Amino acid sequence: MRLLTYIALLAVIPALLTAARTHETNPMSSQEDFEEGRRLYRINCGVCHGMEGKTGRGARLARRTYRHGNSDAALFDLIEAGVPGTDMPGLWLDEDDIWRILLFVRTFAEKASEVCNASGDVAAGKRVFDSQGSCLACHTVGPRGGRLGPDMSFAGVQYTDQQLRDALLEPSREVTDRYETVRLVTAEGERVEGVVMNENSYNIFVMDRSENIRSFRKAELQSLDLPEESLMPAYGDLLSKADLDNLIAYLCSLQGRDEEVAQ
Amino acid sequence: MDVFLRRMLLSALLCAAGAAGEVTYQDLLDDPEVAADWLNYHGGYAGHRHSLLDEVNRSNVKSLRLQWAFQERIAEKFEVTPLVHDGIMYITVPPGDVYALDAETGARLWRYSRRMPAKLIACCGLVNRGLAILGDRLFMATLDAYTIALDRKTGRLLWETELIDYSLGYSGTHAPLVVKDMVMVGTAGGEYGIRGFIDAFDVETGERRWRFYTVPGPGEFGNDTWSGDSWKTGGASVWITPSYDPELNLVYWGVGNPGPDWNGDVRLGDNLFSDSVVALDADTGKRKWHFQFTPHDVHDWDATQVMVLIDREYRGVERKLLVTANRNGFIYMLDRETGEFLKATQFVKQTWAVGISEEGRPIRRPGMEPSAEGIEVFPAVAGGTNWMSPAYSPDTGLLYVSCREGSSMYYKGETEYRPGTRYWGSMFVNETTMDKWYGAVRAFHPITAEKVWEHKLFQPVWAGLLSTAGGLVFAGGTGGFFKALDSESGEELWRINLGASILASPMTFEVNGRQLVAVASGGGMFVFTLP
Repeated sequence: MRLLTYIALLAVIPALLTAARTHETNPMSSQEDFEEGRRLYRINCGVCHGMEGKTGRGARLARRTYRHGNSDAALFDLIEAGVPGTDMPGLWLDEDDIWRILLFVRTFAEKASEVCNASGDVAAGKRVFDSQGSCLACHTVGPRGGRLGPDMSFAGVQYTDQQLRDALLEPSREVTDRYETVRLVTAEGERVEGVVMNENSYNIFVMDRSENIRSFRKAELQSLDLPEESLMPAYGDLLSKADLDNLIAYLCSLQGRDEEVAQ
Repeated sequence: MDVFLRRMLLSALLCAAGAAGEVTYQDLLDDPEVAADWLNYHGGYAGHRHSLLDEVNRSNVKSLRLQWAFQERIAEKFEVTPLVHDGIMYITVPPGDVYALDAETGARLWRYSRRMPAKLIACCGLVNRGLAILGDRLFMATLDAYTIALDRKTGRLLWETELIDYSLGYSGTHAPLVVKDMVMVGTAGGEYGIRGFIDAFDVETGERRWRFYTVPGPGEFGNDTWSGDSWKTGGASVWITPSYDPELNLVYWGVGNPGPDWNGDVRLGDNLFSDSVVALDADTGKRKWHFQFTPHDVHDWDATQVMVLIDREYRGVERKLLVTANRNGFIYMLDRETGEFLKATQFVKQTWAVGISEEGRPIRRPGMEPSAEGIEVFPAVAGGTNWMSPAYSPDTGLLYVSCREGSSMYYKGETEYRPGTRYWGSMFVNETTMDKWYGAVRAFHPITAEKVWEHKLFQPVWAGLLSTAGGLVFAGGTGGFFKALDSESGEELWRINLGASILASPMTFEVNGRQLVAVASGGGMFVFTLP
């Protein structure tokens, strides 16, 4: 009976999930498979994720936990189907080749020296995030928070502790396009500050400090400034060293998948 | 530390400003009087799809021109009606995307993209018809059978609640309905042996408040209208946004066909609540009344048409009426407080019924059921009309209906239920001879059901209608023409070829004091205004 169930599952699973996957765990393990996986990774993945899985516009792969799941099956499905809404396409490769790529990608985690890891007090850091640091005014964790800064629900898998520390101390060092700062003055003299939601030759679309989404005709503005600095204040002056350490510890603790973050 | 103090002050300000621009329940009740916005799939709870905007009118509509277009690589049918609030247009793009667009220029503000299973199950295309809005939240029913809530300013997913396992043939395709603090969604899948239902969720948490099964279970009223265990696979899907009467607190849901579609032998009986309108108490989901248009349907004539709520005099008494042009070829008028049948009038060619009895039951013409050899019946399987919206103008007092003239050959065959696969009971073939097969926009007096005018279309129509206080009815064609008709005479006043079939219902809104008219065609959203 158990065998029959297993056979039935084998028949159903590929039909429901993807066209290709017939295993729940990676069946590849040989050195030849690993070498082939490395070759395929360099051809198909390296341009965005970096040859070591550490650099590039794609997600950082040199980590121990992944946002969309850590199981072989979840990662296989992600590689095969891609991630909608991002530049990550699905791969049109044979099942065995996707498993080989995954075999290679798994070695990144073993070499991941830069993980999010801080020695502070997580509970105290949460208090800093929620109240003292006013972080929730602009960032979300789970269902709570503001919209002007990046979602921090998965900070622990998206950033290293060093990246978080750099961003807190020097927020303007690196500002992603999605949160580009804009300061403009309208024809009527109103000063507007916020982040750019979209821009073309004629219009600019801004989420202002009050989270209103507003559109402006560029030709009608008195001035338009896109300073290469973040709206976020530098926290070196605002928080004690202990508070900073605790805050980073809290952010590193945000590792969960959607259902774990939701409150 | 004064920097920090300023920062704290700022965050306090942010909290205070957070409520600005939120859609309140009162806004939804006032829609369509809030003429600038379009806050509900129908442009208001009554299902009128009528706008009070009149900047574009009979005298100037001939100057209407394209303001902007939005295009995506959409291989599916693009059936959405946009919502517009606060200068932002919200649309769904199949199979699982949501876009926020600047309503004046079409520029994209954000996109949400849902990760979908590779194998979705939908009989008639991976479609979605739109969103609902309340507060700062958008709500969507998804093809993988979830109801989800998004932040309207960023597109961030706030919650998702599974309706049921999609792999059994269930899906969500209609724009949800928000009533008070609930969002309501019904499940599609009537061709897959589902057991249909309607769910209401808390808008804040996504927790289920109530469920109403459109096929009653054992011990429930109507279960005895299904022979044997046929209720378990009875279909009765829900795939169009209901209407709502706030005074009566009743939600009017059109329910789909029984399954299997064309072989009724395995489901003897009337098969409630398939092909019915059910009036549910909004707070509890309990049925107040129901009316079945096509008992024991064997032609796939879902009653998933828009329920138009009208307050008018009937036989000397002011009444709360429900008027709907049904897929089976008759326009029905009911009392929407009690469900009492008042009247039915044929509005397209039909050959299956001799007439409708005083109780509202069809008097069937013998021998018009599907058979192994096939039988030609009018209307065609897609019906005398379908899910596309009618419109009702309080100005002219007329009901406008997109009509389909034609027939199908209906065949009956064997069928066996297997989860997640088609449960049809044979097939149909559409008759395509041109003398039998055409479309029309027709204006009816809703009380007398007298046809006041007709505008013929070359092909049967899949586009809905929009009526405006500018004396116009906007209509679309399968051939790609989008046009404006005079609401009193039906005369064509303006048209443009959009280059692909229009399979959606138009809407209108106002931004910065200008009226715009929007309709989906092919893979594009087209928005028009005056020069």
